Amino acid sequence: MSRLEVLKGLESTLQGFLARAVEAEEERIDAFRCIDKLDGIARDSLRGRLVSARLGSWFSQNTNRLETDRFSKSEVTSIANLLGDIRSGLDDSDPESHKLAREIERWRGKGVVPKRKLVLKLKPRSAERDLLGLLTGFLTRGVEHLESGEFEGRHLLSILDDVLKSAAAKEDKMYIHLAGAMIYFLKMNGYKIGPFVRRLREIENERFGHINAE
Amino acid sequence: MLNETEKAYFKALLAIKEMDYSGAAGFFRFAENQFADAPEFRILKETTELLIAVKEEIFEIENERIEIEEILSDGQETEFR
Repeated sequence: MSRLEVLKGLESTLQGFLARAVEAEEERIDAFRCIDKLDGIARDSLRGRLVSARLGSWFSQNTNRLETDRFSKSEVTSIANLLGDIRSGLDDSDPESHKLAREIERWRGKGVVPKRKLVLKLKPRSAERDLLGLLTGFLTRGVEHLESGEFEGRHLLSILDDVLKSAAAKEDKMYIHLAGAMIYFLKMNGYKIGPFVRRLREIENERFGHINAE
Repeated sequence: MLNETEKAYFKALLAIKEMDYSGAAGFFRFAENQFADAPEFRILKETTELLIAVKEEIFEIENERIEIEEILSDGQETEFR
């Protein structure tokens, strides 16, 4: 068997498989076509276009499908939501729109009801903290720590090493903040900061867990 | 309104039905983020892509041309036996 024959055989098998797979989904594809059409009507309706004729035709084409329960639950929900969107744009003073609104009500009566969205809102657990105050507090204490005289004449990398040791040993988050600021400063000035970043991450992981460390 | 990714999945199925496999592959790629974990989706997407690759290979073989170059030594015709 030539290579071409093998490929032709494979082509036919794959095409056959895909055709059968799609055939099995025929019902869903048909339902999708209906919903997609209604989606187009709903979009046009929201843009203020006249949709009465298309909507009337859609109802006449799909009433039988609804009566014979050929829509799945999720499809019914999609249709109900779209009809809800369309309904809000119909002008009841126009007789044709009024008739379509009645048809929408009839579909609702048959169970095509939009899903109600329930939104639960939770109050903040605590009053908003003074973030700016916290930041300036960290910065002020960081400056005081660096200017305490303890680090006189030492290179910034060696000072950072000390600050990281304090960050690991002490509860005060100021050291973590200061180490982060120093690392960023060193990065901006072209220093290799990889090992320091790793140490800071380890400290963060240990202190706050993985979520806060990212 | 309908979810665009879900729409793309169905459009891919419609394209397969119409034997527009390249179109189907495009729709599958668009829908991939939402359906990547659905085995049925993966099978259809990968089968479509494989089919496109097979078709390309067949096209290449069928359109392969053998070029024969005749070489003349010193501009003289040579008699081949």
